[in-house]
Amino acid sequence: MALLEVENLRAGYGSVPVLHGVSLSVDEGANAVLLGLNGAGKSTTLMTLAGLLPATSGEIRYDGKPLTGSPGARVRAGIVLVPEGRHVFPALTVKQNLRLGAWTIRRDARRAHRNLLEVYQIFPRLQERADQTAGTLSGGEQQMLAIGRGMMSSPRLLLIDEASLGLSPKLTEQVFAAVQLINERGVTVLMVEQNAGVLAQADTAFVMQQGRVTITGSGSETLADDVVRAAYLGV
Amino acid sequence: MGAFLALGLFQGAVYGLLAVGIVLVYKAKRVFNFAQGEFGGVAAFTAFAIVVGAGLPYWVGVVGGLAAAVAMGLIVERVIVRPLESSSRTIMLVALVGVALFTIAIIVLLGQPIPRVMPPLIAGGGVNILGAGILPQQLILMAVLAVLAAAMAWFFKTDMGLAVLASSQDTRAAQVVGISPVAVSRLVWGMAALLGGIAGLLYAPVGIFTPGFMTLTMLVPAFAAAVLGGMTSLPGAFIGGLAIGVVQNLGIYYLGQQLKVPGAAELGVFALLMLVLLIRPQGLLGKEA
Repeated sequence: MALLEVENLRAGYGSVPVLHGVSLSVDEGANAVLLGLNGAGKSTTLMTLAGLLPATSGEIRYDGKPLTGSPGARVRAGIVLVPEGRHVFPALTVKQNLRLGAWTIRRDARRAHRNLLEVYQIFPRLQERADQTAGTLSGGEQQMLAIGRGMMSSPRLLLIDEASLGLSPKLTEQVFAAVQLINERGVTVLMVEQNAGVLAQADTAFVMQQGRVTITGSGSETLADDVVRAAYLGV
Repeated sequence: MGAFLALGLFQGAVYGLLAVGIVLVYKAKRVFNFAQGEFGGVAAFTAFAIVVGAGLPYWVGVVGGLAAAVAMGLIVERVIVRPLESSSRTIMLVALVGVALFTIAIIVLLGQPIPRVMPPLIAGGGVNILGAGILPQQLILMAVLAVLAAAMAWFFKTDMGLAVLASSQDTRAAQVVGISPVAVSRLVWGMAALLGGIAGLLYAPVGIFTPGFMTLTMLVPAFAAAVLGGMTSLPGAFIGGLAIGVVQNLGIYYLGQQLKVPGAAELGVFALLMLVLLIRPQGLLGKEA
């Protein structure tokens, strides 16, 4: 069953169109990757899905119903964005960052606490750094915090924007492994990446070029695709 | 000298209250709120109309004055600040100066441009503490400040308070976790207006007051206090206010009364500001950019 269906989505910044009709479909429980080069429209797609940018036309269906509303309403519906560049709250502690991640479920202290324990289980490093301000964390730790913060509101669909940006290959691998773990716990994931290495763990892959999805397939199929190999792996 | 020190601390605390409101708005929105003083003006004139004009109990005047200030804060947020959200900071600044002048004009229109005397909450002479005559109004101020400080410290530990801090650090990230920027904006302007209102109610009974008294005499020292504290630190802004009040009055005492230097209060503040900005350009409690 498709949890997210996007049809002919158009969006952009002011009068500059970036998305020229994006269509994709992500099944409930999928670990999907949206691959593309700089400027292909990957981040714009995620921002539009999260409600941070208005769609100019096209349709987004989530859980079978048309998706509209403020970013906050979408978080409450279970769609959570882990933004590009991490965007943690630098002067707040790790714990406070995570607490704000549970903003939409703040009246349910029990659930927020359960989620906190789960995040600490996935990222033990965050528990070690709980009382440190987020601005003092390393890039990899900040990325873990951004993902952990996204987990705090019990998302159904996690949109992760370039988690590997600026990370060493080893850290990238760790972050990808954590995302896979999160997916195995039942959260549907749509990751935006320029790093084709992530395809190995993806069950669904989309390749974006110039504001459109041009290739759709399973992760391994896409990894074997000649166009993808030429563009992303240089072979 | 004790009397000057006491007066300085009192005036400084009022500057500090205004400065905390200024910093609150600045942190959240990067806006210099030139209307901050008039929140106090509106509170003072509303309370005056209730207590002196209508002869109602003092507490009704206090509640009414603060309600008027908060209402003004919310109206300014909705009618001026939010529509100008994406325009340049200069336009926003000029608009807020306009709000201050407009408010003063309304107060003049509704009443008369004459000096008024607001009775203090507790009348009577001063209490002698360490050789200085402390007025009851000054004691009330101390109690109000203690309560406010505790309330603010508590507030910034709550989810709401954290949301305000988070939004000021990264608006986009706050939206991503589901915090409504509009709700935070309303909250910040409401709180700033409340602080301004409290400052106005505390200061009005000290002498005679005229329309615009908060903007004309209190706003500039309050901005100096905010800068002194680092522009982004709430405790810093308050301490900055105290420092400016004390230096003003010690300046009057030493430079003015003893050495007969004209403009002694302003001179003292200027020297203090220059000194702090030379030694600590980021302000007393500000973080280095």
